[in-house]
Amino acid sequence: MNRLSTPSTLRVHPDQKIPFHYGGKQFYGVAGDTVASALYAGGVRIFSRSLKYHRPRGLYSLDGECSNTCMQVDGVPNVRAENTLLKKDMNVAAQNVKGTPETDWMGFIDRLDRAMPAGFYYRTMHRPARIWPVALRQVRKMAGLGTISPDFQMNGTFDEIYPTADVCVIGGGPAGMTAALTAADQGLRVVVLEARPWTGGFFDYRTAPYDPEVQLYQQAAELSTKLAQAANVRVFVHTPAVGVYANNLVTAFQTGTESDPFDERYIEIRARSVVVATGCIERPLLFENNERPGVMQIGCAHRLAHTYGILAGSRAVFSIGHDLGLEAAVDLSDAGVTVACVADIREDGQDPGLIEKLAQRDIAFMRGWVASEAHGKKNVTGVTLSAGQGTIHREFSCDLLVASAGLTPVTGPLSLAGARLEYDYHTGFFMPRDLPDRMHAAGRMLGLSHPGAIETSGMLAGLQAAADCGASVSEVVHKTRQWLDGLDGPEKGCKMVTAPVRGRKSFICFDEDTTIKNIRQALEMGFDAAELIKRFTAAGTGPGQGGVPGHNLALFVAQYHAEAGLETQPTTIRPPLVPTLIATYAGSRPNMCKCTPVHPSQKKAGGIMRRIGVWKRARYFSRDFSCRDEITNVRRNVGMFDGSTLGKFKIWGPDALKALQRVYVSDMTTVATDRMKYSAMCNDDGCIIDDGVIVKRGEGEYYFTTSTGRAGATVEWFRYHTRYDGWNFHLVNLTDAMGVINLAGPNARAVLEKITDADVSNNAFAYTGYREITINGEIAVRAMRLGFVGELSYELHVASSTMQALWELVADAGREFDITNFGLEAQNVLRMEKGHVIIGSESEQRTTLHDVGLGFLWHRHKPEAKTVGAVALRQTEHQQQRLKLVGFKMDDSVRPPRDGSIIVDDAVRGRVCVARHSLALDAAVGLALVEDSLAKEGTVLKIYEDECEGRLLHASVVPTPFYDPLGKRLRM
Amino acid sequence: MALTITCPICGRRNGYEFRYGGEDKGPRPAEEQLSPAAWCDYVHMNKCVAGIQKEWWYHRDGCGTWFTVYRDTVQNLEVDPPEATS
Repeated sequence: MNRLSTPSTLRVHPDQKIPFHYGGKQFYGVAGDTVASALYAGGVRIFSRSLKYHRPRGLYSLDGECSNTCMQVDGVPNVRAENTLLKKDMNVAAQNVKGTPETDWMGFIDRLDRAMPAGFYYRTMHRPARIWPVALRQVRKMAGLGTISPDFQMNGTFDEIYPTADVCVIGGGPAGMTAALTAADQGLRVVVLEARPWTGGFFDYRTAPYDPEVQLYQQAAELSTKLAQAANVRVFVHTPAVGVYANNLVTAFQTGTESDPFDERYIEIRARSVVVATGCIERPLLFENNERPGVMQIGCAHRLAHTYGILAGSRAVFSIGHDLGLEAAVDLSDAGVTVACVADIREDGQDPGLIEKLAQRDIAFMRGWVASEAHGKKNVTGVTLSAGQGTIHREFSCDLLVASAGLTPVTGPLSLAGARLEYDYHTGFFMPRDLPDRMHAAGRMLGLSHPGAIETSGMLAGLQAAADCGASVSEVVHKTRQWLDGLDGPEKGCKMVTAPVRGRKSFICFDEDTTIKNIRQALEMGFDAAELIKRFTAAGTGPGQGGVPGHNLALFVAQYHAEAGLETQPTTIRPPLVPTLIATYAGSRPNMCKCTPVHPSQKKAGGIMRRIGVWKRARYFSRDFSCRDEITNVRRNVGMFDGSTLGKFKIWGPDALKALQRVYVSDMTTVATDRMKYSAMCNDDGCIIDDGVIVKRGEGEYYFTTSTGRAGATVEWFRYHTRYDGWNFHLVNLTDAMGVINLAGPNARAVLEKITDADVSNNAFAYTGYREITINGEIAVRAMRLGFVGELSYELHVASSTMQALWELVADAGREFDITNFGLEAQNVLRMEKGHVIIGSESEQRTTLHDVGLGFLWHRHKPEAKTVGAVALRQTEHQQQRLKLVGFKMDDSVRPPRDGSIIVDDAVRGRVCVARHSLALDAAVGLALVEDSLAKEGTVLKIYEDECEGRLLHASVVPTPFYDPLGKRLRM
Repeated sequence: MALTITCPICGRRNGYEFRYGGEDKGPRPAEEQLSPAAWCDYVHMNKCVAGIQKEWWYHRDGCGTWFTVYRDTVQNLEVDPPEATS
């Protein structure tokens, strides 16, 4: 189809062709086209088949308010073709089609509507009960629009931003733009959200005069330019608002252009004040076959011509209830469409200027007439117009029927914000009453139609928003309000909802194929609230979110119950106002993790890195996942381990000791300077949450470690449990600032001696000792003699910046001893052999300090410290029937059970925490939490593994530690 | 998140940045003569007010301060302290 190139309102570039695919054929759109406009220009009239009846559906509103133009685009179902800009080589397919959109072999269902009355799936097919599952399967098979494969991968980049603004304006039409400019003039930061790809609203496509010199689209362009030039205004186009929440939080999503680094992005705006200027949509006119392709709303036909340069048909009939329809008839006639007649529902109130223009073009103008039936099977071929309550009829042939009952405000954002909507008899609109604090409405949604009044109301809202932000504008507000009152107020609206028809094929909701007849059926069954009728008939529950049926449903119900005097209320609106991709909410999912300073060295040494919590750590150093070599080397020789993920903290100040006394169960007053103590933290239930060592480095200054997983929560924990005390202490998380090497094995001392002059002999630096030494004459190291893996070992704490240097020094010094790295898995086996617990592995939420056998750490005589967990530790000390930590050995030394297997007899009695084959013992051993009745030495444990098919494994409770029970090796 | 919290150090910020720390129940009770029931009540029982309550918040993604604010639990909005409004 040749595009009109004359309208100066054009938003497409007819000379730039864009190829795409539809139905196996190559199509061409032009730059600026949406998928829908490109298809329409290519001659496509049927875009989809309807949900229930497989009726042909086509362009209707051009703003994506119904599922008519939901299509499959590049594999993504339910893409709103009217809102999606065309891109090169897009693959477009029609939805809910059996066959082709033009010839759908399910089309016969349309004749079976009598079998599907309102709420048929609640009422039929339930008796006898056994037929329902069968019917359900068939209904499920038929229902649903798009299809998606379960392994579909969503391509694209999805982003999110969280701007703050003084004023957020929803809607970039004349009122919204004026409000934004007015607020910006007061020096405020303004964000404007516009759903279409450009600002301008309903001025944008119209050539009607704004004033004697300027046309409406020119005024829109002028406002848009000012908006773009205002330094403190940020305009988001192609960005529909989808949610409005308390505290003026507005959410939206933006469709990216080709130059944007995202396909769609989620926007969450916190504003001090919000202006809603979302304007109006057209209220659909209900008559027989009111959704036949070729039937469209005024704005759709008008914008197709003026924005996209497409004539929607060659011979048109108009059945409208608003002056915009008269204007469109004149414009389309001038553009080359033959307008057979214009039927206006209203008896009076039209703009005489427009009637005169119709007369000049010899267009028949019929007051009080309305379309009652559209004819044609796949596309409109004619229309019956009626008057006198359906007593007089006239037939017209046409291929385009422009039908609209009038306007209705887009109240979604206001409803979400909690504004009460009240039916206004003059305009026929649901008008906002009791707007929430710091929220204002402006523009056409208030019933205004005079361009000057619309802009002035925007100005007023902008000033009120500025006042919310502290601008002193009360005088101007007063003047602007007076000025607005002097302009044309809200105009009288058309009240007709449905033409005089029986309504068997008059669709109130296109998405769910709900007819007026269905609504009447529901009403006759006794439903009186629109909210319930919506649920019973499904009207307004489709992808369009009630865009098409929304206000019509409430008005129709109100008319039916007119004499009952029920309050007319629209149905509840919920976010998202516009269908949004789940991918957009999911965002970019960056896979972020922390790496230790020696991460590259470990990888180079063959480390197999695994994501563990927030860290990436070396789990193994060979493909032998039993880690035989790593373990043997530590037991017989010497190994090095990167323990940098350990939580490391400095606490100091006059009250530091008090804070330590509060959170640690041990008595911290007994720690002398340059000594350390192993202790644990419990929560208020006495359950163990962390363990580590505390070093006293001087009066009121301590350095302590926590387990890796607990590092992030420790500062919060200390501060929480001292929040009432006002103590004076500082606490700094040094986890990332310090690296740790654990040098372990019988030869550890020999390695260390090579790189330090300090005396690290067993006499000078005994087990559980702490020294601050210098390595290689320059690296300051905090060394601790600990024995987590059960051998002579030194934990070397060093600044992260020197960690790599120290790592290399240790590796070099150890070369003559054949030092090797060992990873997390080797450490796990080594410490298990030693019976050392890892919090989270050998403990769970309900495991107390006593349960894991660490009760000896608890100092019970410090009540003045109000130690966290002390009360519960006292109360649970001798509690029966708790899960206790025990060691076990597999009978016959069969393989160890999988971690997490359960221990059973006639019920679940516990679980295996960790179990491995121990090389040192040449037996499969492990640690388990079991009920105290099973905790006695020698008890047989029956272990149930997943998929063991009834073959239980057997183990016996044995004392721990399994390895070196007297602890001689760590004291070497 | 619609909720905002006013941190005494960083000012009014998005609720995402904070961690809720429970109702304000006063300082830890003395351990002497504390019955198990009284202790359990202190740790676990809440008033669950439908209205304005004083509660603890932690500025987790900020300055790391624990502080109290007043919040209307019905509207889920922070409100001025009662003494300031009376």
